[in-house]
Amino acid sequence: MRWPTYISITLVALVTGLLLTFQFRVSSRIEQGVPAGRAQELATELHQLDAEISRLQSEVSDLEAKLRQATKGQQQALAAMAGELTKAKIAAGLTAVSGPGIEITLDNPPLLLKTGRPASLYVIRDEDLLRIVNELRGAGAEAVSINGQRIVATSEIRFAAPFINVNLTRIVPPYHVLAIGKTDHLQAAVSIPGGVVEYLKDLGVRVEIQPHDKLTVPAYTGTRQHTYAKPVQSR
Amino acid sequence: MRVTLKSYHFVLFLAGLAISLLLTFQFRITRDVVRSPAVQQKQALAEQVNQSRQERDALKKRVGELRAQLDRIAAGQQLGPLKEELDKARIEAGLMAVSGPGVEVTLNDSNLVIQPGENPNLYVLHDEDVLNVLNELRAAGAEALAINGQRLLATSEIRCVGPTILTNKSYRLTPPFVISAIGNQDNMINSLQMRGGIIEQLKFWGIQVAVRRVDNLTIPAYAGSIRFDYAAPVAAPADGQESPS
Repeated sequence: MRWPTYISITLVALVTGLLLTFQFRVSSRIEQGVPAGRAQELATELHQLDAEISRLQSEVSDLEAKLRQATKGQQQALAAMAGELTKAKIAAGLTAVSGPGIEITLDNPPLLLKTGRPASLYVIRDEDLLRIVNELRGAGAEAVSINGQRIVATSEIRFAAPFINVNLTRIVPPYHVLAIGKTDHLQAAVSIPGGVVEYLKDLGVRVEIQPHDKLTVPAYTGTRQHTYAKPVQSR
Repeated sequence: MRVTLKSYHFVLFLAGLAISLLLTFQFRITRDVVRSPAVQQKQALAEQVNQSRQERDALKKRVGELRAQLDRIAAGQQLGPLKEELDKARIEAGLMAVSGPGVEVTLNDSNLVIQPGENPNLYVLHDEDVLNVLNELRAAGAEALAINGQRLLATSEIRCVGPTILTNKSYRLTPPFVISAIGNQDNMINSLQMRGGIIEQLKFWGIQVAVRRVDNLTIPAYAGSIRFDYAAPVAAPADGQESPS
């Protein structure tokens, strides 16, 4: 055999090796397939994006209508701004709202049990209420209150000595959490197996969930001063 | 020309055959992978998600522009008090960007080396940890909050999805999570760093927490829609909450 023959054989071997490697990789990818979870995640994201887009579209048309109105004259401009104010106030939690929703009642475990079993020493913690509120928000709650305190963007739910404070106001058990939104979604979100309600029930906390056709969530009553936050004027 | 058949000719023939077979397979499989319903579906979904994201961002920009335009028209008229009230409500609702002194809290997963047999889940940052930090900041008087640039509203949830956090329903945030809060800096820093407080608890698990004082922090507005599908305003505030039946 001569020199060029060696070269050609080397090349052929190289190509074969590469092909084999690729082949193996592709085959193993096929066996794994596409993780079903990923496709599902994408589908969920898409669903939520679509919902947001439709909300944004209605917002745009609403603002456009207001803008047209505002250019007509002072009186109309006033009305348009008043409309915006009403909307902002609802979003800020400065207006009482009503609608369908659920009511969750939580109470500490009884101190004495008739059955003679040792009573649970568990007390509902601030974190428990925080988790419930977070679940409700995740399920699309539009307005939430605890014992008459509207939960706004800056509301805290926090232990202060033995009591829980919400909006710097002391609340005592039983805790009534009201949430307005799609009743089924809200109910499912909190009562999902392994969820927060099941966890609390295991600890002996008395939890009751009740759907309502019409609930009223009160307005935020505190006076909110913006001492530090100053508006940035739009560009 | 006369070709003498030697043994290496045979070897070369075999190699050529193998290569052509492999090539054929290769092409078919690669094509099949791309064409298989699972992959196609995923690609189509990913494409749609990207498109929807773009559409959403464009709409968000439009909403912001329209609001600014409306404000400009109103500014020329005698709407002073109304505008002031509107600004206040908008800050509270998260519909207006604000700036002021504040703190930035950066959170990331634990950097501790996990011993075999230990539960790695304990060393990972959870949605509850983020919730607790936010709650602490609120209790310390934070006036506006954002996480990774997403303004937090009264309805914003914090939800773990794998290693990412989902907030405002359709915004996926990736670590490190940076929480910005405008308010009294000393109050906020002290309450986070209090003995037995949230930072001490997190540090126990090795979760990386860094608190930074920022003198001029800007928190963006939530540029989304504020439409409510279920909640309707009550004209005259009812007396407290509806009594449970």
